[in-house]
Amino acid sequence: MFKLLKEVFRTGEATVKYPFAPLEISKDFRGKPEHTAEQCIACGACTIACPANALAMETDVAAGTRTWSISYARCIFCARCEEVCPTQAIKLTPDFELAVTNKADLTVKAVFKLADCVCCGEPFAPAKEIAYVTALIEATSVTSADGTTAAVSEDTERRRRMLATCPSCKRVNDLVQIARITDQQEKRR
Amino acid sequence: MNINVTDRVGASHIEYLRQKLPHAVLEERWQTDKQVTVTVKLNQLPEAVSTLYYGREGWLSVVVGNDERSLNDSFGLYYVLSMEGEEKCHVVVHAAVPSDNEEFPSVTPKVPGCVWGEREIRDMYGLRPVGLPDERRLVLPDDWPEGLHPLRKDSMDYRLRPQPTSDNENYQFRNDAAGETTVVPLGPLHITSDEPGHFRLFVDGEDIIDADYRMFYVHRGMEKLAETRMGYNEVTFLADRVCGICGYAHSVAYASSVENALGIIVPQRAQAIRSLLLETERLHSHMLNLGLVCHFVGFDSGFMQFFRVREKAMTLAEMLTGARKTYAINLIGGVRRDILGEQRTKTLQLVAELREDVQRLLEMLLATPNFGPRVAAVGLLDRKIARDYSPVGPLVRGSGFKRDTRVDHAFAGYKNVNLGVHTGDGCDVLSRTMVRAAEIFDSLSLIEQLLDNTPEGPIINEDFVYKPYQFALGFTEAPRGEDIHWSMTGDNQKLYRWRCRASTYANWPVLRYMLRGNTVSDAPLIVGSIDPCYSCTDRVTVVDVKKETSKTIPYKEIERYCRERKDSPLK
Repeated sequence: MFKLLKEVFRTGEATVKYPFAPLEISKDFRGKPEHTAEQCIACGACTIACPANALAMETDVAAGTRTWSISYARCIFCARCEEVCPTQAIKLTPDFELAVTNKADLTVKAVFKLADCVCCGEPFAPAKEIAYVTALIEATSVTSADGTTAAVSEDTERRRRMLATCPSCKRVNDLVQIARITDQQEKRR
Repeated sequence: MNINVTDRVGASHIEYLRQKLPHAVLEERWQTDKQVTVTVKLNQLPEAVSTLYYGREGWLSVVVGNDERSLNDSFGLYYVLSMEGEEKCHVVVHAAVPSDNEEFPSVTPKVPGCVWGEREIRDMYGLRPVGLPDERRLVLPDDWPEGLHPLRKDSMDYRLRPQPTSDNENYQFRNDAAGETTVVPLGPLHITSDEPGHFRLFVDGEDIIDADYRMFYVHRGMEKLAETRMGYNEVTFLADRVCGICGYAHSVAYASSVENALGIIVPQRAQAIRSLLLETERLHSHMLNLGLVCHFVGFDSGFMQFFRVREKAMTLAEMLTGARKTYAINLIGGVRRDILGEQRTKTLQLVAELREDVQRLLEMLLATPNFGPRVAAVGLLDRKIARDYSPVGPLVRGSGFKRDTRVDHAFAGYKNVNLGVHTGDGCDVLSRTMVRAAEIFDSLSLIEQLLDNTPEGPIINEDFVYKPYQFALGFTEAPRGEDIHWSMTGDNQKLYRWRCRASTYANWPVLRYMLRGNTVSDAPLIVGSIDPCYSCTDRVTVVDVKKETSKTIPYKEIERYCRERKDSPLK
């Protein structure tokens, strides 16, 4: 009894003033993930890595859009999305006060435009993703350029066209190309 | 199997088995240097398990069922034994049940500890253990349809919820009392043991003559979920959520089971970080239990003091991992966050503070007159019962057995630290509590040891490929005892089978024997002393059936009403 009283007096007031005063949290606390749509290329890496299916990606071919969404109700704040994002478009913040009065407010969306295939004209991949990869390829081809500039730009142009082609058109093009090659081989004989 | 095994520990156990049962062993496969799976003939399974159990100081860790019909046209049964005698290792006794004959000889008559495992296999796979003394359902609800066995690969989608087949409760509670007794039901949501478990105490006056209980009211189907929906790395986060208190132990056990199966070498630094965080988790968990012990004996001021100090352990976890509870630090192959210099300094400071604080609180608790006499000689766990049922953690250590996975099968960073095993010989609630108290100081010392010589180097190894149908065990010592996971990889970037056994699963079957001979008022204390995990409901929804309205009353309102007893929130 005496030891308990001593402990109680020693401690003094243990109650903190929260929510009337801010709560101190650790520097690297994993709280609410914030998405920067300008930075995002809608590649979908985060939606695959998310263990809780809090992140989702839905494609609407008719409207030519892809909608990225996060549900803070499902999020487990593991930061896998932040880890796998190639463009640092999603980052966890220390914010932990996520309560809302309306359930729908727990979902945040971002809509991205799809690019049309240069061959068939059907929308097939986010325009920003294609632009990002094209830029990457251009950057690498400049650094590896030891041939003539004309050859480099021709090669880059060919790859750019490839990127802007949808997978099913690529398959058709491949077939056409294979047919042409076999044709030429036949003629040579 | 796929590992170059140089120093195999445990070969003598297999030799012993071959000598005792000359024609039983069909095949032996080594998963790691201390893990072997022996395939025995199905009709000699009970003899094989009991020979190793009683002949070579084996303890049953878990019984795993596996639907291997697509691989070899049979169901696999795996009896995992932790060998704790001369050669410490894991021996898994495997037998195949042909798919056209869905029964196997029960091991339970020879090794009583297999009872829950075999009941679960009966529920989940529809295989009948012939000779099992207790053929009631264990995991499946009473109103679950007959013949639907969820873990069979062809049985059901994980999202399916079959219609209940009956409205009545038809579970038969067992009463072995000789004379007449009165039934005292406890639960499914009892106030002092917030866990959804239903207890039937059969009493004569105040004395408990016998007890029986029904668990698995909140079976979440995590194993099925992991097999069907998640990738290997994602399951580490699911495993974090197996338990609300010691989830990280599950995450480590799961990750190491896959690492063992694939022969992945986890960097030393990652191993040390895992151990350090496991000890952080033990700190908060043991302090929580000490607080609850105070609460159960009616010493609520003590409860509050322990919870106040426990907050430092929570801060420690938050600082090191970024979250108070679900650490989310593991991936297959290592960990995601390093411990930096600044964090190291702060950790050492918190550890020093905790050591002083806990010491003072323990002195306070032991000086409290209603503690010692109240818990001494209550809830006795007989040594013979303990040996037969293989309970784990402070429960079995409180009955004088030196069982601790950290020491017996040193995993993660425990290979490089000094650690003893604390035991008690009272076999009662007091012994278990004192074991936990001593372990808090062990954890503090372990954290310091691990920080003093943390190996340098990378924290994750990503240089490996997944191979299908490899299996192995992973194990940790959670605050409540050994957690053991058995994983088999699949061919579709998902697990083929994940068996996750929480420590409390091994401790429930002995509770019946601990309750016998005590009084009704001791029941919550005894249940609390095995430290089951707790879940809480903090608000109430009132549904008015006549007016077809519902109203949610916040916890605060109920608390206010409880104090003031006026202005009822129900009106």
